[in-house]
Amino acid sequence: MQDGVVLTTVDDFLNWGRKNSLWPMTFGLACCAIEMMATGAAKYDLERFGCGAFMATPRRSDMMIVAGTVTLKMASRVKTLYEQMAEPKYVISMGSCSNKGGPYWQHGYHVLNGVDEVIPVDVYVPGCPPRPESLIEGVMTLQKKIANERLLRNKWVKHA
Amino acid sequence: MHNVDLNQLASLINKNIPGANAVVNVAPDAKLDSSINIEASHITKTAQWLRSNTELPFNALQAITGIDWMESMEVCYIFANFDVNASRELILKVRLTDRVDPKVDSIMKVYPAADWQEREVYDMFGIKFNNHKDLRRILCPDDWQGWPLRKDYVAAKYYNGIEIYPEAKMNFEDRDFIVRQAMIKKAQETKAQ
Repeated sequence: MQDGVVLTTVDDFLNWGRKNSLWPMTFGLACCAIEMMATGAAKYDLERFGCGAFMATPRRSDMMIVAGTVTLKMASRVKTLYEQMAEPKYVISMGSCSNKGGPYWQHGYHVLNGVDEVIPVDVYVPGCPPRPESLIEGVMTLQKKIANERLLRNKWVKHA
Repeated sequence: MHNVDLNQLASLINKNIPGANAVVNVAPDAKLDSSINIEASHITKTAQWLRSNTELPFNALQAITGIDWMESMEVCYIFANFDVNASRELILKVRLTDRVDPKVDSIMKVYPAADWQEREVYDMFGIKFNNHKDLRRILCPDDWQGWPLRKDYVAAKYYNGIEIYPEAKMNFEDRDFIVRQAMIKKAQETKAQ
């Protein structure tokens, strides 16, 4: 392989780079964040998927894991954080609360009914809270989604 | 509540704070907790005495809560004495007759722990604490309308342009347990006929 040639498409190359270095944001809202921490820690080791580098700022992260109950007070902050992230950015909604309001869905006066009311969501991970395996499954689903993206065509060739 | 003879304590309060009008509120069940009711205007003096007296001192404030009784408001204080040899707890209640705009004196100067507790009661019930140095909402956003734990509180439909109960996501008819149970009962009755 020393002088070998690897043939690939530009899209595949970009997507390969992207999907294997998803940097999530250090951002937890409630008990789901504990499971997210467990996923990032040694036993479940999110680093195997290239997304163990939890960045302490939205400007350096590609992925936002909304882990926990999004209250109405927090909703505007979540939106601001999402807007501060640099493109391309992806969102995983983790747990019932951020998926659809969870136990506060019907009678909670203070909880947002799903984080997709304020920001676009790529992958929903069900569970209350989801086990680390579920979050890993969600991350893998997101990686598959990124692998199928046609960035160049979508960006420069309109109506392709 | 625990390790306190409430009758003795009530008589001590009445003796030391004239006009406090301490009344023991005996619980109907042994599982429930008895309490002492006093006049709302004497809460600061009573707290001062509870903290500083030598007979039955209480050196800590554990919690402050509000209760909405529809016709009046109640503020409920839980005092405790953290001492290995003389641990005790007390539930002290204050009745506020003005439900629309309830006001009570703050005990923040006596028990500094009351600061956030009183802010939370203000946030949830709209009970104003006189002489509180920083009385503003603690949990709800600053621009929140209404007092969420009042019985007549109606949840808002919108907050800052965000729809709280989006029509597409709600399914009240299917999910309303009481309605469903009533429907099942009705169906069974018609079947029996």
